[in-house]
Amino acid sequence: MLSILAQLTGNLHIGLAALGAAIGVGIIGMKAAEATGRNPGAAGDIRNIAIILAALVEGIVFFAIFLAKGQ
Amino acid sequence: MIALLHRRSTSTAGNAARIFALVFVFVFVTSGQAFAGGEGGGLPPDAPVLFNIGPLPVNNSMVVTWIVAAVVIIGVQRAMRRKQEVPLGGQNFVEWLVDGLHGFLSQIMGRDLAKNTFWFFGTIFLFILATNWAALLPGVGTIGFSSQEVEGSRVFTHHVEKPLFRGANADLNMTSAMAVTFFFWWVIWALKSNGPVGFFKHIFAPKGKSEGVMKVMMIVIFAIVGVLEVVSILFRPVSLSFRLYGNVYAGETMLESMQGLVPWLGWLIPVPFYFMELLVGLVQALVFMLLTSVFTLLICEHHEEHRHDEHGDDHGHGGEKKADAH
Repeated sequence: MLSILAQLTGNLHIGLAALGAAIGVGIIGMKAAEATGRNPGAAGDIRNIAIILAALVEGIVFFAIFLAKGQ
Repeated sequence: MIALLHRRSTSTAGNAARIFALVFVFVFVTSGQAFAGGEGGGLPPDAPVLFNIGPLPVNNSMVVTWIVAAVVIIGVQRAMRRKQEVPLGGQNFVEWLVDGLHGFLSQIMGRDLAKNTFWFFGTIFLFILATNWAALLPGVGTIGFSSQEVEGSRVFTHHVEKPLFRGANADLNMTSAMAVTFFFWWVIWALKSNGPVGFFKHIFAPKGKSEGVMKVMMIVIFAIVGVLEVVSILFRPVSLSFRLYGNVYAGETMLESMQGLVPWLGWLIPVPFYFMELLVGLVQALVFMLLTSVFTLLICEHHEEHRHDEHGDDHGHGGEKKADAH
């Protein structure tokens, strides 16, 4: 197992960042849909907050792609 | 699409001059050297230089920036040439766009702040939207110069190394120019609404009330938090520019690789992704505008606290009443 893990190469950090960001955006979307269902009057505000937060989470992936040094 | 772009634009008469000036500033700020780097295959991260005007190298994303800016400016000028009491056609479209944007921004930022800063956020949204969608036009990124031989079996995947046009936001120079311009104006707006001391206090001073030993602790804690705040503020232009660049660049690369995925289906497979890129272009323009306006709101809020609260309360009550009714 360890020897298999040791052979992993490539841009693993980008994959991990994308995984985390995907989970994060998924949770944001889930909660935004729930919140809209609970309080339809606030749909506009919830949409704005969800877009902003999704953009902030998404930014992490681009840090991983462009700023972190891959092998 | 071109006809659409002609009308996709800005402004009521009052804001028009400032918006055009800003577009010109963007255009000239982006005239820098291409971002260094390069790999084989796919879209190169740096925009290739087409020709030189004196000491100024002109690359293909700059050409697209100029064309889009010119189309936006001329389109708005043409639409607003004969103003009528009851708007029709182009004038109606431009007024609907600007009015809608203004309403949206004043809902987020409060009426006064939105009124003072609309020229910037309106421009940024429309310009990013126009450049993102212009990058999807047929011919952008596909017409140009190549040193490769045409391979017979892969007619549609022949790679153009030096396209005449390139999506302007797929160039880091463009996006960082916009982010840095925003940062510059953010500092000015912050200083205007808080004053130099208030600006400093807004970042470092403790919030809320506390007494005695707690007060001393709070001052220390908030000073440390202020340092973190400064780091996050300085990182904002970086994250703004990388977010837009990354999204558009990834979209271009994806379209290109989808074209090469199955050689004889190269004309069909990218089509759904084109629709996705239309959506991404709109969402990224919205995200850039929303994030920059929220950053501005966070630093300027201080001053207009009750006025903003009034608007906020109105919405809040409306929402709660509706929820109660259910």
